[in-house]
Amino acid sequence: MTNGGGESGREHEQHNRMQRISSGDEFAKSIAKIAVVQVCEIVGFQTFQLSALETLSDVAVQYIHNIGKTAHLYANLAGRVECNVFDIIQGLEDLGVVQGFIGASDVDHCLASSGTVREIAQYVTETEHIPFAYSIPQFPVVKDRKLTPSFWQRGVETPGEHIPSWLPAFPESHTYAQSPISNERAIEPHTDMIEQEKQQRNVERSLYNLQRRLLCNGLEGPSVGPEDADKAKQARESNPFLATPLQYGETEVSHVALPAKLSSEATARNVVAENHVLNQSSLLETFAPAIEAVKSGSCESEEGRKEILLNRRPIVQFKVGTAKKSFGTTFHSSPHNKGFQKTDSWFERENEKDVKKRRAEKILKDSMENQEELAEL
Amino acid sequence: MNQNPTQNQNQQPSDGGKHDDDAALTDFLASLMDYTPTIPDELVEHYLAKSGFQCPDVRLIRLVAVATQKFVSEVATDALQQCKARQASVVKDKRDKQQKDKRLILTMEDLSRALREHGVNVKHQEYFADSPSTGMDPATREE
Repeated sequence: MTNGGGESGREHEQHNRMQRISSGDEFAKSIAKIAVVQVCEIVGFQTFQLSALETLSDVAVQYIHNIGKTAHLYANLAGRVECNVFDIIQGLEDLGVVQGFIGASDVDHCLASSGTVREIAQYVTETEHIPFAYSIPQFPVVKDRKLTPSFWQRGVETPGEHIPSWLPAFPESHTYAQSPISNERAIEPHTDMIEQEKQQRNVERSLYNLQRRLLCNGLEGPSVGPEDADKAKQARESNPFLATPLQYGETEVSHVALPAKLSSEATARNVVAENHVLNQSSLLETFAPAIEAVKSGSCESEEGRKEILLNRRPIVQFKVGTAKKSFGTTFHSSPHNKGFQKTDSWFERENEKDVKKRRAEKILKDSMENQEELAEL
Repeated sequence: MNQNPTQNQNQQPSDGGKHDDDAALTDFLASLMDYTPTIPDELVEHYLAKSGFQCPDVRLIRLVAVATQKFVSEVATDALQQCKARQASVVKDKRDKQQKDKRLILTMEDLSRALREHGVNVKHQEYFADSPSTGMDPATREE
C-alpha cells in the first residue's frame, strides 16, 4: 500500500518520527499503524492519507484499550483479578452496543452464545488470513528488578524491635561499618604528601647550598682562613639572613652567579698559593680536571689574579649597597684571559673617561664662578 | 445489522442448545490458537496490559486481536464505500481531470464519516495540511 498523500508523504513520516521520539510509545504506535495499513489493504484500499491512517490506528488502539478496560471492570465486578472469556465478551458487547449485534435486544441472553462472538467467528472464517508483516520481539522490555531480600526472607533477626521483619535487610556490615584501617587510609595520603614535600624541600636546599658553596669557594680570597669560611657557610646554611656581615676589605662574598671557569680558576689559585686542604676538598676533586685544564691553559696567572681582584671589588660594593659606582658586571661569557684583559681595558677606559669628565666639570664650574665674580667686580 | 431471528430463537429454548453454544465457543477459541491475526499479539498484549487487563491465556488475547481487526476492517470497508460513492458521483466531464486520482485513497473525509457510524466522532480539521496539494483539493472534492 502506498501513501496517497503525495511524494512528500515519506518525508512527513520521517519528520513526525523525529518530532515524537520522546513520546515513549513510538514503537507500539508504529506497529499499530502497520497493522492497520495491512487491514486496509485487505479491505481494498490502495493508498492512504497519513492523517487518516494515524486517526484510524489511534482509534484501533483505543478500541483495544477499551476492551481491556471493560473486561477488567467486569472481572473486578465478579470479584476476580484475572479476566476470562466472558469478561471479554461482555466488554465486546458493551462496545458493540452502538452498532448493534445479534441478540442485543435480549437482556438475559447467555454470553456463550453471544452474537458478537458469532460475528467474529464468521469474520475469521471469511477474511483472508494475512499475518503481520514483521516478527516483533516482546515489548516493552522490562528488566527483572532484583529486590533486596527482607529480614524475614534472609532469616535474620532485625537489629531492633522497632524495625519490622518485612523491611529489606541491611547490607553487609562491612559495607558501612567504620573500621580503623579505613581511617588510617583516609589520613595516609595527606601525610605522604607532606613527607614528599619535605623531602623535595630538603633536596632543593641541599642543591642550593651546594651551588652557593661552589661560588663562595671560588671567590674565597687568601685573606680569609678556612675556619672562618666554614663558620660563615654554616651560618648561611641555617639561615641566609644570618650571613656574616662583610667587611669592606673582605673578598668572600656573594652568591651572584659567576662563570663556572672563573670560579674554578680562583679556587685553583687558592690551592696553588696556600695549599690548604679545605673541607670542600671533595668539590675540588670533582673539579680537578677543569682545574688542570685551567692550570695548563693560563700562563700569566699573576696578571689574571689582579684582574679578578679588580673585578671582585665592584661585586662587594653591589652587595653591600653603597652608593659608589660599580662597573662590575660579573657575568662574562668569555672566560679566557683575553676577555678579561679586554674588560680590564674597558674598565680603565671608563675610569679615564670619568676622570676627564670630572675635570671638565670642574673647569666649567670654576670658570662660571669666575665669571660671576668678574661680573660682581 | 442484519438480524437473524432463527438464531435468536435457537439460543433460548433447550439446554442442548446451550451445550452447543459452549462447544461452539470452545471450538472457536481453540481455532484461534492456529489463527494468527493481522494485529500482532504483542501489540494487543501491550495495550491490554496498559489498561489493567491480566490474563495469561493467549486465546483471549487473540480474541481481542481478532475483534479489533474486525472493527478496523468494518470501519475501513465503510470508508471504502464512501470513497467509491464519492468517486461515482463525480460529474462525467470532471472525471477526466481526476483520472490520476482514481486510486482508492483512505482519506480523512471518508474515514470520519465511517467512524461516526461506529460511534467515534472525528472532526476533520479544516486547514490540516496533509500534503502540499491539500490546499487545492477541497474545490474538486466538494462535489
